[in-house]
Amino acid sequence: MSSEAYELLAMLMRYIFVVLGAVILLWVIFQLRRDSRAHKKEMKQLPDAGLVGEVVDLDTGKSHPLPREGLMGSGSACDIRLKRRGVRRKHALFSFVDGKGLRIKPHLGSKVEMEGVQLRSSAYALHGTQVTLANAHIRIRLFAGLNVPNPAAFQPDVNRPVFEEEESMDYSAMPPFVQMPMAEEWQEEGYADPWQQPVQPLQQPLPVMPEEGDGEDYVPYQSPVVRHRRSERR
Amino acid sequence: MTDKKNKRRRITPGRAMVSTVMLFFFLAFFLLFLKDFNWQSLMLALAVPVIVLFGSVGISKLFPADTLLLSLTNFLCALGVLVLYRLSPERGLTQAVNYGIGVAAMIGCTLLIRYMPSFRFVNWAFMLGSVALLALPLVIGTEKNGANSWISFGGRSFQPSEIVKLALLISLAHMLSKRKVIVPMGFAAVCVLILAVQNDFGTALLYFGTALVLGYAATGSVLLVGAGAGGAAAAVVLGNMIIPQKFARAMSRVNVWLNPWQDVQGAGYQIVQGLIAMANGGLWGVGLGAGNATVIPEHYNDFIFAVIVNEFGMIFGLIVVAMYALIMIRGIMIARNARGVFHALLATGCAAMLALQVFVIIGGNIKLIPLTGITLPFISYGGTSLVSSLCIIGLMQGVAARNAAGVNEDRELAMQGGGWR
Repeated sequence: MSSEAYELLAMLMRYIFVVLGAVILLWVIFQLRRDSRAHKKEMKQLPDAGLVGEVVDLDTGKSHPLPREGLMGSGSACDIRLKRRGVRRKHALFSFVDGKGLRIKPHLGSKVEMEGVQLRSSAYALHGTQVTLANAHIRIRLFAGLNVPNPAAFQPDVNRPVFEEEESMDYSAMPPFVQMPMAEEWQEEGYADPWQQPVQPLQQPLPVMPEEGDGEDYVPYQSPVVRHRRSERR
Repeated sequence: MTDKKNKRRRITPGRAMVSTVMLFFFLAFFLLFLKDFNWQSLMLALAVPVIVLFGSVGISKLFPADTLLLSLTNFLCALGVLVLYRLSPERGLTQAVNYGIGVAAMIGCTLLIRYMPSFRFVNWAFMLGSVALLALPLVIGTEKNGANSWISFGGRSFQPSEIVKLALLISLAHMLSKRKVIVPMGFAAVCVLILAVQNDFGTALLYFGTALVLGYAATGSVLLVGAGAGGAAAAVVLGNMIIPQKFARAMSRVNVWLNPWQDVQGAGYQIVQGLIAMANGGLWGVGLGAGNATVIPEHYNDFIFAVIVNEFGMIFGLIVVAMYALIMIRGIMIARNARGVFHALLATGCAAMLALQVFVIIGGNIKLIPLTGITLPFISYGGTSLVSSLCIIGLMQGVAARNAAGVNEDRELAMQGGGWR
């Protein structure tokens, strides 16, 4: 192609390139906004996303959402802020470890107790473990479904790993319900032992859910969310 | 059956974007083919869109990846190959090979971040290895453009500072996530000092800026940032007073930046030619293959943005800048959605490093700040630079993949009905 013809063609194509570049940019912005909206929608449906439980302040009764890792202390940058006398700005680090629990580590020699035992290094807290940071008392609560050992007596993770030597319990050898003896003072006050009471028959029959074909009263279940088949979309 | 057909016909923004990118590069390489009827250009007109398709869609099918980030990166990399091929076919083809190596490295970095449980045990090795590698050019290095930061090996040369970038990001993010400040900041300061000794002030500025951003993101302390910036300013002033010959090159660049027209044929030649090329391009450019930006020294490297503005125009130049900005925004979004402090800091650091690099080099091209010799990420000629930039994207992709896995875990937890143990 002659240089003049090529120059003309290149000058024509420069507009096309700019238009294509602008179209690509617009598609990117569109996709970015769409992704952002989808993420926000998903986070609304999963309000506990990124959290592993909560921390209950036993002194005030307030609860704080517990992220997977972060910092406890009195500073404004802390994930769990406990404004109490003796609590340092950065008091303890915590991180959730799958299969082990919530690892709590005192920051630079801060005073942290777990179930009354002072921590010298890190230790794992389970659901229901009580932790004391100087004068602040908190209880760890973990969500169901997380891969952590069942709550048990706390053992500091100083020289040996927690729960490693415990044997698994044979649940099949146990009765389905264990009858707990009644407290003596309750017996003295004349309360009847619920385990010794005969089973009372039900006064009213349980309601039966109608099924299809039972009669005119049957109303099939309909989701409140209106859904259209893809083929019906315009 | 109807659903399948409709699914096939459905156009999503992602697919439309990839299609437009493919059309762009087909037309661009085909135009270059029409210039001199070189069969290599025609082959590239067919091959580059296919590579873009694989890079944007194929990779995301193989493992969880952020397709938007992939598409943006692929567009910029392919633009680099196009511009370099138009300037020098040999460089363009070499860049295409480097692009392939970079994509493989990017996948490696993504998998590393996605599946590596912790960097606790390798962090010190990263830090010590980085300092050793960075200091290596002082012993066996070669000088290029005034900076003694290159190592020649088997006929090829590379800059260790491009590899150390990745280790710096991972180490800083790891240490700062453990609420340690002194050690990571000390490590960054040592790296900056070594680079300053090598006269590589552009990369030193990049390291310094990234460390400050990460330090602020981790601690929220303005005092730390102020102390860092003040300390660096004091070090530059003191260094200029004590060893002025070491800072002579940097000072001459500042003087050229202040008035490049003073020495048009000498020190100011490069920046003046760059400004003239961009002015010649105007809003719409002079057309692909019709420009004369090759007169700019280092047009394929430091001044590639001037070449793009010259041939594609100022509007297209702004589109390229907007694409970099969108990569940064995506990086910040990934950091915000991260489940752990380390991953959030890593994504922030990656976005900050790329943003600083783009700002420093484009700012230098348009005479906003003094020019420093660093590359424009993804576009400039240079294997190490391209591979390390793609690795930074890989680190971001790894964090994005972790976020996606975290959302799946949360969804599974929510499906179990919530409640407590």
